[in-house]
Amino acid sequence: MGAAVDHVSPMGMSGGSAEGNNKSDGQRFSCKNKLTALVVDNGAVCRAIQTALLRSYGVETEAVETGEAAVQLIASGATFNLIIIEMLLPVLNGPETARQIRAMGAQSKILGISAFFDERHQQEFLAAGADRFIEKPLSPEIVIPIIWVLDN
Amino acid sequence: MDRNHLKRQVDFMKRSLLDQGYLDEQFIQLEELQDDDNPNFVEEIVTLFFNDSARLLQNIEQALVSGPIDFTRLDNYMHQFKGSSSSIGAKRVKNECTRFKEYCTAGNAEGCFRTFVQVKQEHAILRTKLETYFQLARQAGPSGTSGGQVR
Repeated sequence: MGAAVDHVSPMGMSGGSAEGNNKSDGQRFSCKNKLTALVVDNGAVCRAIQTALLRSYGVETEAVETGEAAVQLIASGATFNLIIIEMLLPVLNGPETARQIRAMGAQSKILGISAFFDERHQQEFLAAGADRFIEKPLSPEIVIPIIWVLDN
Repeated sequence: MDRNHLKRQVDFMKRSLLDQGYLDEQFIQLEELQDDDNPNFVEEIVTLFFNDSARLLQNIEQALVSGPIDFTRLDNYMHQFKGSSSSIGAKRVKNECTRFKEYCTAGNAEGCFRTFVQVKQEHAILRTKLETYFQLARQAGPSGTSGGQVR
């Protein structure tokens, strides 16, 4: 298997569960069903943050560094409710990654993400089969409604 | 040392970093991700950011000073740098990145040089401020940097 998957974040966070995260106080949104997500980003900081954010809502999240790794993972049979793909990945870029994932029949919600909002990039991503394109950072305002829809 | 006093100092420092625009709401979001299972999440992410971004800044500097400028390469480095800066809530740094990108897109070398100085400066200032902040938070004890909730 060639895909290098980042199952454990450096912080040792749990994989997230449908029962919700571990916050004992405050009311943090949490999904009811088992949802899964894949983060595809060549930057360690963004990978870690996006993964932690999704896991905090109970979404089981994996992260990979490259488009190729994402494609391999899905080709090997892994399925995800949500896939977040950075635009400027080296070699296989974001839209191309999305295209190949769609070509394999994946029904996942695909979110293209980038440091800078750019209409050209948005068009590329949407044409490749992404559902949406947003500018970083991945925020609760963006992600909670997406999770909610997937959950219901 | 009165722990409540330290906690108030931590909150005060955070408030002023936000008010002065060094940090934005995204930093607060990161603190919301911190809990008993991950009590040092924010500091770990910020440390990762400064290590990672130091490398990117070096790459950008190299690309600026060695020979004819490859604006595409610069753009790619800055793209990653801005992405991670915005993800940790580094507001001033992020804004300088946006200015840099504008010069880069325009192929304006001089503008890139000037803005890069600003980028490095804001990066260094934030690094110092956050080092102080986390030092204070560690002294204040567990949940020193809670999202504001009393535990």
